[in-house]
Amino acid sequence: MLFRLVWASLVRHRARTLLAVLGVAVSAAMLLDMVMLSSGMRASFKNLLLSRGFQIRLSPKGTLPFDTDATIGDAAEISARLRTIPDVITVSPVLGGQVYASAGGRTATAVALGVDPAVEGDYEIVTGRSPSTANEFVASDDFFHATGARLGDSVSVAAGFDPQLRAVTGQRTLTLVGRAHFIYMPAGQNSVALPLPTLQAMRGESAHDRVSLFMVRASSNDRVDKVLADIERTVPRVTAVSIETAMQQVDERLSYFRQLAVILGAVSLGVGFLLVTTLVTVSVNERLGEIIVMRAIGVARERVVLQVLLESSAIMLVGALAGLGLGLVTARYLNSILASFPGLPAAIDFFLFEPRDAWVALGLLAVAGVLAGIYPSWRGASLPIAVTLREEAVA
Amino acid sequence: MTRLLVARDVKRDYHMGGGGGLVHAVRGVSLDVDDGDYLAVVGPSGCGKSTLLNLIGGIDRPSSGSIEISGERVDTMRDADATRFRLLRVGFVFQRFYLMPALTALENVELPLAEAKVARKERVARARELLAYVGLAARLDHRPTQLSGGEQQRVAIARALANRPRLLLADEPTGELDAHTGAEMISLLGQVNGDGTTIVVVTHDEDLARAAKRVVHMRDGVVVDDRRQDGS
Amino acid sequence: MTAALFALLFIQAIDSTPPRPAPRSIAVDERLAADAGLELGDRVVVASAPGGAGDTVIVAAITRGRADPSEVARADYRVRMHLDELQRLTGYGDRVDRFAVGTTSASATDSALRAINSAAFGFRAHRSRDIAVETSRTFLVVSRFHRAIGVITIVASAIFLLCIMLLKVDERRRDIAALRLLGISKRSIIRSVMIEATLVAVLGSAMGVALGWLASSIINWHYRGVYRTPLAFAVVTPGIVELAVALSLVLGLGAGLAAGRRLVRQPPLDLLTGRHESRRTARAAA
Repeated sequence: MLFRLVWASLVRHRARTLLAVLGVAVSAAMLLDMVMLSSGMRASFKNLLLSRGFQIRLSPKGTLPFDTDATIGDAAEISARLRTIPDVITVSPVLGGQVYASAGGRTATAVALGVDPAVEGDYEIVTGRSPSTANEFVASDDFFHATGARLGDSVSVAAGFDPQLRAVTGQRTLTLVGRAHFIYMPAGQNSVALPLPTLQAMRGESAHDRVSLFMVRASSNDRVDKVLADIERTVPRVTAVSIETAMQQVDERLSYFRQLAVILGAVSLGVGFLLVTTLVTVSVNERLGEIIVMRAIGVARERVVLQVLLESSAIMLVGALAGLGLGLVTARYLNSILASFPGLPAAIDFFLFEPRDAWVALGLLAVAGVLAGIYPSWRGASLPIAVTLREEAVA
Repeated sequence: MTRLLVARDVKRDYHMGGGGGLVHAVRGVSLDVDDGDYLAVVGPSGCGKSTLLNLIGGIDRPSSGSIEISGERVDTMRDADATRFRLLRVGFVFQRFYLMPALTALENVELPLAEAKVARKERVARARELLAYVGLAARLDHRPTQLSGGEQQRVAIARALANRPRLLLADEPTGELDAHTGAEMISLLGQVNGDGTTIVVVTHDEDLARAAKRVVHMRDGVVVDDRRQDGS
Repeated sequence: MTAALFALLFIQAIDSTPPRPAPRSIAVDERLAADAGLELGDRVVVASAPGGAGDTVIVAAITRGRADPSEVARADYRVRMHLDELQRLTGYGDRVDRFAVGTTSASATDSALRAINSAAFGFRAHRSRDIAVETSRTFLVVSRFHRAIGVITIVASAIFLLCIMLLKVDERRRDIAALRLLGISKRSIIRSVMIEATLVAVLGSAMGVALGWLASSIINWHYRGVYRTPLAFAVVTPGIVELAVALSLVLGLGAGLAAGRRLVRQPPLDLLTGRHESRRTARAAA
């Protein structure tokens, strides 16, 4: 009987209820997006950093990996020292730089990574293979498109340009042996990876025995803190960054979006709450006569409260469910906008859906739905019966 | 005969907003009603008769005085107890019927039964029986808007009788009905009383007042006359 | 013409004992000054490597950062120092990262660009405006994101507004019925509903603009504090005010018209007694 009455009052003004559900749906969509935004980019970044299993990054003292052009000297010695630390499984030194590549008459600029090909810490081979000799390299899809090069081609690659001599410097002819997906590179970025000694040699004295960072894999996640402490003791000239520290830095950099998410999420929730409160209050006011007669014939105050709370919660929940679907669509659209951030790895998702997000949004909306019904239900249940009956009769 | 209702020096004052001052709606009414009686309260508009009915039914509280029904003090009940009392011990019939527009006749009668937690099968049977009793066996699934005024008032009476109250309180039950339908309603109320339910009815309708066993006249919040129709 | 060189430096505050006469001067930004407790006249050591040999310099100025959106989320400190000193410190020799060239007019800029680029010393000259466009890509993405969020917010607000206006007119059904029974024409009633809707929309818009201004002030105060920047994060522009007012007027009037027309189509007596609603409820429940 209770549900029958709830249903009846919801369908009494269909247009109004529909608009309320729509309003809540849009608010819910926004709320879900904001919940996804507040946690998604963090989770996505963490997934990205952990995708190759390296829990620790070492960068020049006081900097973040690839945040500046600064490099670490005595790379070979540091590398050897790192390998002696217990629980260190893999060490992957990486040198970054820019190269100019010419193939078939077309020239392209690319970001070059000097790596240990045996480790494949920065890329995954899509076709072909990793470099096995000093004169081989792999490249991204974008590089293939930009230069028109094909697997097996010889490509002229230079590491710099001397303005005085008007000539390229550090030029080598390298063989393109693989097509790779570069995990940390932005979309549309021409990228190549070649053996570290090759890139160091190409860049000349400024990069001699230098790297931009080391990636370190520990034997297990719970050994990371110990390895970090060992690194700080063994190699004091570098900053060792764990995933957690990196996440903190990312949090700091992207705090604007997190704060925006909190503000907009709260506003969305507030708008949905206000909409439902207004509608249910008006609906209760319109049927004071019915409510008061129910009270007069012995329907308990709690039952009236429950009926109104169910009405507000029903609007919120139906709107929320519709909003979750809508939210996923809008999240994809918003993500496509933010994905065009310059320099951002293509694999980063600002809006990463996790079931927990849907539950959080649903939970918040359910609470808001109940809260939205509190005032109107209190109003309906607390009316003095005799006075209201007389006023209704006069009206 | 058992005494069902005992009211002693009942007063009800209202504070009127907007500087209207204190209104003495009921100014010390004492009344005894026996089980099975049929009492009509008559008097000019504003004399306090509807207020008295509300006080008896526990939907309003007296400013002073006491009201007992079947030995239970209605005037001092907590709100939850008063609600339960209205659900089980008295039945209300209003001038404007006040049926739930979204519910069918059957569901309207089921409503107080559902609130009293009567099992679904039992309450449907009881509601059917009551609607048949008031002559609406063929109108179970009709909604209030599909019923005439008289039919709506019959449903309201069936609803009031749902939990087998010993006392039926009716406020101008024929006020919205034409003469013919009003007469039918008077007959139905007579039948309800004949079957053992005590009735207190507030009315301007002389025919309805004539049908009662006892008539109480009120003026300015006090009882000015109280007599049985058989001349006692 | 100015030349610029950028480098990562390490700064260490020292006590005031002058190690050598007449140290060079540097300017530090106010965030660094606040965080490191530096004041004008303080002596500090600047070095290109942590713990490495450096120069003792004197803080001669405390500067405030420009309102640069691309740097808003970065907590880097900025120090300005003499070019030759930085070149020496970093071992860069006689090299710089870029030159900034001032010209006398727009046409002079064009000819300077051509002249520099045709000289082809191995570097390229760019218009400052083009560089600004390139470096503000981050900002453009954020702007696009904000605009998309704005559209969603507008849809939600529109629905809210529509609902409120429908309720507002619906609430007046008894007054409208009384007016109809008095012989007032449907047209006059709709007109009065529309005037009311316009007033509500205009007043609501005015309050909304005031609220928006207040909200933007709070947002700016908050984010300026968080990011320690003079940037304005939210600005209520005339365009935004126009859009908000136009939207609320259109929606308010539209909802008023729709609800008003619906009500005047009902028989006045039904409106007065609420019978139209009972029928609607019964139909809906059926």
